Amino acid sequence: MTETSVTARLRGGSAKAGVIAAVRSTNFSLIIAIIVLMAILTVLRPTTFLTFDNLLNIAVAAVLIGLCALPQTLVILTGGIDISVGSNVGLSSVVCALVAAQSPSAGGGVLAIVLALAVGTAGGIFNAAVITFGRVSPLIATLGTYTAFQGVTYIVTQGKSTAVLNSTLNNVNSVQIATVPLPVIILLVAVVALALFMKFTDFGRNIYAVGGNPTAARLAGLNVNRYLFGIYAFVGFIGGVAGIILTAKQGAGVPASGAPDLALQSITAVVLGGAALTGGIGTISGTVLGVIILGVLANGLLLLNVSALYQPVPQGLLLIVAVLVQQRRGHFDLRGFLRLRRDPIPAAALKADGTE
Amino acid sequence: MTLSSTQDVRTGVSTPVLTLRGISKRFGPVSALDDVSLTFNSYEVHGLLGENGAGKSTLLRILSGDYQPDSGEIVLDGEVVYLRSPHDAHALGIHVVYQEPELVPFLTVAENLSLGALPSKAHRVTLRGIIDVAERLIVEHGFAGTISATQLVSDCSPAQRQCVEILKAIRDGARVLCLDEPTSSLAEDESQRLWDLMERLRARGTAIIYVSHRMPEITQLCQRVSIMRDGKRVADGLTSELSQDEMIRLMVGRPLSRMFPVRDSARGAIAVRMRGVTTHHVSDIDLDIFAGEIVGLSGLVGAGRSEVAQALYGIDRMTAGTVEVAGIQRRLRSPRAAIAVGIGLAPEDRKAQGLFLDRSVSDNVSLSVLRSLSRWHVVRRRVESQLVDSMTKRMRVKSRSVHSLMRTLSGGNQQKVLLARWVARNPQVLILDEPTRGIDVGAKAEIYQLINELTRAGMAVLLISSELTELIGLADRIAVMREGRVVGEVNRKHATEETLLRLALGMKEEE
Repeated sequence: MTETSVTARLRGGSAKAGVIAAVRSTNFSLIIAIIVLMAILTVLRPTTFLTFDNLLNIAVAAVLIGLCALPQTLVILTGGIDISVGSNVGLSSVVCALVAAQSPSAGGGVLAIVLALAVGTAGGIFNAAVITFGRVSPLIATLGTYTAFQGVTYIVTQGKSTAVLNSTLNNVNSVQIATVPLPVIILLVAVVALALFMKFTDFGRNIYAVGGNPTAARLAGLNVNRYLFGIYAFVGFIGGVAGIILTAKQGAGVPASGAPDLALQSITAVVLGGAALTGGIGTISGTVLGVIILGVLANGLLLLNVSALYQPVPQGLLLIVAVLVQQRRGHFDLRGFLRLRRDPIPAAALKADGTE
Repeated sequence: MTLSSTQDVRTGVSTPVLTLRGISKRFGPVSALDDVSLTFNSYEVHGLLGENGAGKSTLLRILSGDYQPDSGEIVLDGEVVYLRSPHDAHALGIHVVYQEPELVPFLTVAENLSLGALPSKAHRVTLRGIIDVAERLIVEHGFAGTISATQLVSDCSPAQRQCVEILKAIRDGARVLCLDEPTSSLAEDESQRLWDLMERLRARGTAIIYVSHRMPEITQLCQRVSIMRDGKRVADGLTSELSQDEMIRLMVGRPLSRMFPVRDSARGAIAVRMRGVTTHHVSDIDLDIFAGEIVGLSGLVGAGRSEVAQALYGIDRMTAGTVEVAGIQRRLRSPRAAIAVGIGLAPEDRKAQGLFLDRSVSDNVSLSVLRSLSRWHVVRRRVESQLVDSMTKRMRVKSRSVHSLMRTLSGGNQQKVLLARWVARNPQVLILDEPTRGIDVGAKAEIYQLINELTRAGMAVLLISSELTELIGLADRIAVMREGRVVGEVNRKHATEETLLRLALGMKEEE
């Protein structure tokens, strides 16, 4: 067989497989879900929902969850979990406010930003050290710091909010580029950078390997601990970024900002995006869709004047429904469905791949 | 259970117990079973032979009630039965024991043995009762001293787990017992125990279906043998009427003599010199491996074969001794360090320790060289796909495309991918731990050929295997281990299964 015919055959095969894979993929069903949700909202609120301003509102509201969900995706890819990211955001936020409140100068603002990033990163490194050197399970380690970081937040603020009058810091929230606020730009840049990082660098590929099978990754020569350390530290760094945005948004450092909830919301977004908590499976694009669906849902409930008391119910149920759908889809087989009988996963029998 | 007196053993009359008539099963376009008819008799061990993908596993899954046939019928004692679930199959006395037994690892052997049939009085379960029942079962079936009722299943060896699973089947009064590759993870002595048990069960009238790739086991154990190929039954008859060569020819259309390549690579410079290497598992290992050479490592399970690999590969910490790689003394503290000096390892349990089943073939191959394929940490995809294409071609990996998920490949192709990963890295020394476990005959022959080709290119290979024929057929020298020590080295010319076993068991040479 000639070289060209081989590649042509491969291309044809992968294109066909690509279509099937796309239809079966998590992203496809999420996109459908988002379109359906948006269609419903457009019909119910024709004048308000599908406007540029409202879509921007959704984006602005999604910035913090989105930022937390990005590194959370990496953590979940390694089979871990980080519950402390929201507490870390809260801590970085108040540190940022406390420093910025000292001086209204630009230098004070920059110092506040740098220190907030340092605090966030330090929190992440603490988690990383406990998890990699201490060999504590990520759930336990970050459950501990989830509480501890909140405690530190109250200690450094003595429970009081700090108003920020530093214009440099407030600019983080108010500067707009082509009518898009800076926080949204930061989120978009982070999304694109991380998606490229995961897809095109050896680091990204190795993260999938470390998460998919840590033993095999180690035996293949990867330094698994180094990857884990880097990822948990990175969560802390992004937590710092989110903390700065939170402070700028509120114009104050508020110890009771509710930031710790961001952790569970970010995990929700990642799982909605099709990641497996066992590790190795998940994508940045899926997470982005998960964040979008959460954001659209929250916005829709607001537009429909659903009481804030009721809003968490559909958000929580959405996660469960999404996971149920994903599990069914994996086993979905039209033939078996029509005959209404329990059919095994055909893939198991199709292992004849090599012997066909 | 009254037939246990040995007098009846030979007088038991074989009568058909289970008959399959015209069983077919398709998965989409693939015909896994095509009009298969088979009869299994009482007092008989019935061997089921075939390459991977021949339909044996599908057949077992139909017998276990996991799959329903598209057409055909299953007849038990003259009556047509329908096995809609494993529960149905168990109720009718049909039990299938798979390669990886389905036990609860964090419960004791006794608790596993009582699952689904807890001995209780008015719903009050006592631990004592559970243990008593289990111990009675264990002693009655000759496992006293092999398995302890109070042992955790997670602490059990593969052989012990297999035995627990079989005991469960006996507990439920299995009339038809199917064993899927039961010895693939067992050493010779463990296998022997399993065979003794099978013989006792057979003597009581149980019909046993024995699936194996290992020809000698089939000829020794089975009274009757059926051979499958491409979803069809291609032959059926008394084992005594078929020679091993005949069976292999029927399975693959290739005689046994062509299984092993002719070893023709020249022995080069020394690649690895281990002197007095000691870890917590092995003691005082002296081993030399030369470039272009295949050195076999033999011994019973637990003798420390894999542990020698772990010491050399930087997994286990060395407490004494030295390792020289290509003449330079090295301290290898991690697999990473070992890889850096030119050592590779294809581990024993390829799915758990070697492969990324949810990643593509391409990702699995390029992993070990990803860094060198990258510029500024950005993977150069064209270079990568060229490398992967040439490696999969060289290793004769058969998959729909290099983007196929690893878990969709057959065992043999998975092993070839693992080899391809190392060949891409081109280490000086490649350690292969059980490279052909659970792989069908055709793929085995291919892998032997590939290993031979690697040594021709100057690679040194350390081959760890439980299969003596494999070691004798492929290795230039065979080091035999017992209790963590190398107790002897046999040259290929003098190696016979008997000499190797004697060394491994610590028996004196007969005069």
